[in-house]
Amino acid sequence: MTFVDPHTVLSALGIAIAGGLIGLDRTAVGQFMISQPIVAGPFTGWLLGDATTGLLVGAALELIWILDMPVGAFVPADSTAAAIGATAIAILGNPGGVYVPGVGFSILLTVILAPITMMADQVARQFNSRLADAAQSASGPDLRKRIARAHVSGIGVFFLKSLAVYLAFIPVGIAAVRLFLAMPDPFHRAMALFVKLLPLMGVALAARKLSMKAVDLFLLGGFILAVLMGQMFQAPALVILPLAVAGGLLGARYRDRRS
Amino acid sequence: MQSLGFAFAIEPVLRKLYPDPEEYESRLRLHMSYFNTQPYLASYILGAVTRLEQERASGRKPVADVQGLKTSLMAPLGALGDSFFWGSLKPFAAVMAVALVITGSWWAPLLFLAVYNSVHVVLRAGVLVSGYRSGGDAVDLMARYRFTKTAKLLKVTSLVMLGVIPGVLPSWRPEFRIAVTAPDMAVSAAGLALTLGIVGLLRKGGSPVTFMLGLGVACLVMAYAGVI
Repeated sequence: MTFVDPHTVLSALGIAIAGGLIGLDRTAVGQFMISQPIVAGPFTGWLLGDATTGLLVGAALELIWILDMPVGAFVPADSTAAAIGATAIAILGNPGGVYVPGVGFSILLTVILAPITMMADQVARQFNSRLADAAQSASGPDLRKRIARAHVSGIGVFFLKSLAVYLAFIPVGIAAVRLFLAMPDPFHRAMALFVKLLPLMGVALAARKLSMKAVDLFLLGGFILAVLMGQMFQAPALVILPLAVAGGLLGARYRDRRS
Repeated sequence: MQSLGFAFAIEPVLRKLYPDPEEYESRLRLHMSYFNTQPYLASYILGAVTRLEQERASGRKPVADVQGLKTSLMAPLGALGDSFFWGSLKPFAAVMAVALVITGSWWAPLLFLAVYNSVHVVLRAGVLVSGYRSGGDAVDLMARYRFTKTAKLLKVTSLVMLGVIPGVLPSWRPEFRIAVTAPDMAVSAAGLALTLGIVGLLRKGGSPVTFMLGLGVACLVMAYAGVI
């Protein structure tokens, strides 16, 4: 398998276009959350014939930026680009099936991508703000057409921004993953551990944003419930989670009454 | 950019209400002024503005302050929507989905979409109608939807579900499971301790990117030191 085999090139191009379209859901069209890593990752994986790798990337990344909100002038890291980019390079860089260290390395590469995507997003937003000013200069029947054109152009700018990011990142990422495969064993063990620890880091990041406390009693309550139900009664997560939701609701009401 | 989107959305209404081209243009131009709020709750303002424009065009409220209404609503609705949709509903659905994926349920992303969108789409349509009916009475919006109270409940339940994730660590799918020979209880406790340790570090500051890079380097050091 060579780096520039037609299948890889076409797949990378296809993912760049699909990624550009999925990215629109973040800001410009719908916001139905198909751009969230937990959805975009497996979807990208499914397009490339390996949904499991996408599922791993999505689950590892979902909670990392979950509470970074686009408030005011702050533009959060593009978690969609991270999920789609990591899934694409993990699969296209090592097409032999799910390889956990390769997934870890791909995620780490996209972390480096985060500040670049934030900058690209800011540039796209600045450009789009000029579209509104340009539409203002029209008058008469032209005004309506200019508004519609500027509106569609703004969506197009967001698409092109994502497309450019993927077109630049995916080939470099594929090359990097292939180099990684030839690296010594400790690198592979390190990246396997990195993937396994990411969900806990995601839990910590989300908990930090949801609660100001160092040890939140609700978080602790969920942990105790899971340990009791899971390890004493062998209950699966599918049973534990509804109990956790019910417990959370009761706990919140109790806290409200006390306060 | 939202001002352009708002003007694009309200334009068909204005075209119908104002047959005089000059008045139509001046009203359309008015809606191109600065506008920024939470995108879902923009529907509420769109409904209210439609109502006011109708009343203005029909002569019932010839001096209706449409721009004043938009300006007064966009900031509070922005804060309310950010807190409810981005700060509560999205984490709630995401934590649930991650907990399920991590324990082996491949269909959890579909559940995430179903949970989030069943609330979001209904509310988005609902607030458009209530904006139109109430003419922008934000008190009516707050009383009807109880965003603040529901957001609190969602945040608390998200925290409880976050606690479940390290609690079920021994039953994580094999790709995420750390192979150690220790009792399940000890594995879960170690997971919780590590999580709380990271929370402690986060309280001192730092971005997710810094922490992820730090984690990558720490894993590499452990691998070369023979710890893993």
